[in-house]
Amino acid sequence: MNYGPLIFLATFFALSGSWCGFVLTPQLQIGRLQQTNTLGTASTTYPVARPGLAGQGLQVYRANGCACCHSQQVGQTGTILEISLTDAGTNQSSTIAALLDLLKGTDDHPTAFVPLPPLEPAGSNAAAAALQSKLPKALLRTSDPAAAKAAVKTLNATSAKAEFWVVPVGPDLSRGWGKRRTVAEDYLFDFPVMPGSQRVGPDLANVGLRLPDTKWHLLHLYAPQLVVKGSTMPPYPFLFEKRKIERRPSPEALVLTGHLAPPAGYEVVPTPGAVALAAYLTSLRADAPLFVAPLTVASAPTAATTNSQASSLAASTNAVPAQTPAK
Amino acid sequence: MSVTSSTPPPSAADPVGTALSPIPPAQIDASCRLPLVVLFLSGAVWLVIASAFGLLASIKFHAPGFLADSAWLTYGRVRPAGLNSLLYGFCVQAGLGVGLWILARLGRTTLAKPGLVAFGAACWNLGVTAGVLGILAGGSTGFENLEMPRYAARVMLLGYLMVVLWGVVTFHRRRERPAYVSQWFLFAALFWFPWIYSTANLLLLAFPVRGMAQAVIAWWYSDNLLVVWLGLVGLATVFYFLPKLTRRELYSRYLALLTFWMLILFGSWGGIPMSAPVPAWMPVLSAVATVLTVILVIAVALNVHLTLEGRCSEFLATPSLRFIGFAVLAFIVAALMRIMNAVPEIGRVTEFTWFTPAREFLNSYGFFAMAMFGAVYYIAPQLFGQRFPSAGLVRAHFWAAAAGVLLYVVPLGIGGIVQGLKLRQAGIAFTDIAQGTLPFLRVSTLGDVLIALGHLMFLANLAGLVVRFYRALAVSAWAAATAEVPIAEVNA
Amino acid sequence: MSPEPIPSAVPSAESPEPKARPVAVPVWLIVLLFLLLYGGMVYFDRCSGWFADQVYTPYQSVQELEAMQPASGPPSLAQLGLLVYNKPTCVACHQANGKGLPGQFPPLVQSHWILEPEPGRIIRIVLDGLSGPLEVEGQNFNGAMVPWRDVLTDEEIAAVLTYVRQNAEWGNNAPSVKPERVKDVREKTKQHKQSWTPDELLKVSPAD
Repeated sequence: MNYGPLIFLATFFALSGSWCGFVLTPQLQIGRLQQTNTLGTASTTYPVARPGLAGQGLQVYRANGCACCHSQQVGQTGTILEISLTDAGTNQSSTIAALLDLLKGTDDHPTAFVPLPPLEPAGSNAAAAALQSKLPKALLRTSDPAAAKAAVKTLNATSAKAEFWVVPVGPDLSRGWGKRRTVAEDYLFDFPVMPGSQRVGPDLANVGLRLPDTKWHLLHLYAPQLVVKGSTMPPYPFLFEKRKIERRPSPEALVLTGHLAPPAGYEVVPTPGAVALAAYLTSLRADAPLFVAPLTVASAPTAATTNSQASSLAASTNAVPAQTPAK
Repeated sequence: MSVTSSTPPPSAADPVGTALSPIPPAQIDASCRLPLVVLFLSGAVWLVIASAFGLLASIKFHAPGFLADSAWLTYGRVRPAGLNSLLYGFCVQAGLGVGLWILARLGRTTLAKPGLVAFGAACWNLGVTAGVLGILAGGSTGFENLEMPRYAARVMLLGYLMVVLWGVVTFHRRRERPAYVSQWFLFAALFWFPWIYSTANLLLLAFPVRGMAQAVIAWWYSDNLLVVWLGLVGLATVFYFLPKLTRRELYSRYLALLTFWMLILFGSWGGIPMSAPVPAWMPVLSAVATVLTVILVIAVALNVHLTLEGRCSEFLATPSLRFIGFAVLAFIVAALMRIMNAVPEIGRVTEFTWFTPAREFLNSYGFFAMAMFGAVYYIAPQLFGQRFPSAGLVRAHFWAAAAGVLLYVVPLGIGGIVQGLKLRQAGIAFTDIAQGTLPFLRVSTLGDVLIALGHLMFLANLAGLVVRFYRALAVSAWAAATAEVPIAEVNA
Repeated sequence: MSPEPIPSAVPSAESPEPKARPVAVPVWLIVLLFLLLYGGMVYFDRCSGWFADQVYTPYQSVQELEAMQPASGPPSLAQLGLLVYNKPTCVACHQANGKGLPGQFPPLVQSHWILEPEPGRIIRIVLDGLSGPLEVEGQNFNGAMVPWRDVLTDEEIAAVLTYVRQNAEWGNNAPSVKPERVKDVREKTKQHKQSWTPDELLKVSPAD
């Protein structure tokens, strides 16, 4: 390596290799991603661009370096499949027998299934009780997709209706930080993308699901220690304005007590930046089921969800001209 | 580029021309003086600024309301400002200064166009100033280690190119044709930075790519800067000063060659974190490449150990050697921490914790900055032909810096592992985990204080030396200008 | 004070520029390099999905990902019923809340027509439509409902009728409708080509 051109060529070769690997190929693979469809019968396009206020909030997040302490990516260490019954069927005894067979396994094929609480302790009594109770209910758990599919087939053959639910698992998910791992599609419309590398504060990928109240976020930004006991987050009073109450208190004013309360005649209102940031935070969610990150979203209608689901489904299906009553 | 050529007879009025006899070191040092003064002195100032920001950020963990009223001093702006000041304000400038000096000395030739190099350094400083102020004003780009806004990046790149162009020319004009180990590393580093920096700025700020590709490119840039560029320049410094100051020969040039190839081939593929929201092949490839860099760590350790023939106590001989020795140790430990991080079972525990900043600090400060201190403490006296005003401060700086690094890295490393283990258990509330890291952070703040003190000592010493030299120069020039002319000469 | 001269002022006193010896790399280091390369390739083969852009950890291949997709298994009768109701087969007129529009579309909520123990009449309504003056829970209607014989299958009709009859939010609680029953009625009314009138329907027994 005595010559300049040789060293230069070595440098060029090495750097262009890593450039192709981590600049060019990611651009080709994920830099040209388009919107995709979610899984399931109520399929929608995903993701949708953040509404304007949330988009501005993203810039406030960037300018104040929130990504220094908060990550926005959730990991997953595995996926389990839960066999659930949606309909008990007419021949309950054969369904019970099939369930118990699945749990026992055979001599050369030990069982791949673990009973879930409705079936514990495993036995025909527990199985019968589970079948009588309110369905749908997850009864078995496995991590083997082939076994799960076979079990569903077996149970369907006994006139019951079974399906398997895909449930991602991992420490982040157990902590309630998400329902599935985050994937490239979740960040499609963000600029800049700030997945963060530190968890000095909790992960924010799904904070819009956990804490959907903008008023909570505003109060938390103003005085974190007031809202979260033991928080180490610094307050952001510069995102708020302490001003004299004119005529009537503003509906946006923060409700503060104790030593944080403003002096009489004054109120603390959020600036547009704070409002935008709160809107951004409540827009953060990454729980749509995708092909690359499968997840079963509970779709069985219950009394509480029927109408809301009906209206959302009605909204998403293509409009058909209403039938006009004819005489 | 030819090794021999027909040469016209050497003449005294042709210092850098076609004559191939080596130029004496004093002349080389004289040519390097102006640009290195700009680079080292401004680097020292940026060090003080960086440690002030770092200290401020650290204090906010113990008193969250400290200076929270000001948007400019909020944690999310102060911390990146401090890191960028350290990296771009000190590390790159000191690296360029030391690198150019080593290239000139090893090539036995004077530095080409020192005035333009100094101008380039001034441009760089202008860019960094604009960039740090931009971050504090809310213009951060959001990408780690690339927070400086676009307008600053343009000026910085221009300054850098102005500096390295003459570095390339200096290497090209070298009188000692066979290149020593350090010269390969430095020559590669001269090209490495502009390519990664311009790519990152183009694809992230000028014509942004869509979605997660931004984060991948940002991670690629960050790794190439911190691991490869700092590694190239830092190892060049170690491989130069270690044999020179111990008056030995470097044990194996082929081990150094292996180090070079491993660093540029595999070091440049690291950086993608394990649970990143990207297709699986990216973190896997990164992890494989990072684990492969253990070869270069072993090669460096072997080379250093066998150069000294096992007498590691020689590192304590001179202040410069103490810094270099600490730098070698820090390099090995930081690289091993990085490799451990790449192994999935361990990486899953340490990701997102304080372990990562601890090892990055150990690499960029414990290894690179300490190597730069060692180099500057040797080079500056050579440049000015005088010792530092206070040898005691030089020694004190070493102990303050070494203790500071240890007090910063060790608690945060352990705290990070504890934090990571707790994060894996869903039953432990997050606020408990956050409170649990505070004792470790308190110790690391002590480390920050010691490091800041060390920087003040460094700046004081260096500024004192520079001022003393130029004042003496000015005094003698003034004396020469105002000297009485003997009557006999006036009349003749 | 005059600065003291340092050793480099005398060129021979400063140590010379370093040199490197041409000692070969130890063989075990090269062996280790190849071992690590091999191990790396094995790990990549297992965990990376071979550059597939759809494979994210913990999945290791596209096949595994496909196997883990939620089953689009047969929906339960009630689930199918909801889907059919919203196709927008029924919701366009009878509305999502089942209350219809006064004067135009009759409500299904608590409607005695819907809640009859035997579903014979409402199956006929769905199959062939209904027109003429109609009284539902005190409200009068005189519109027309389109027939769905050729649009919906037996299972779909049974599902939507079950959904309507068992919708707890509307307070309906009548026995479900089986697809076989719908098939039965469909056969019986094969010749009935026009829509029913309420008078005609009242003549038919619901158990039919």
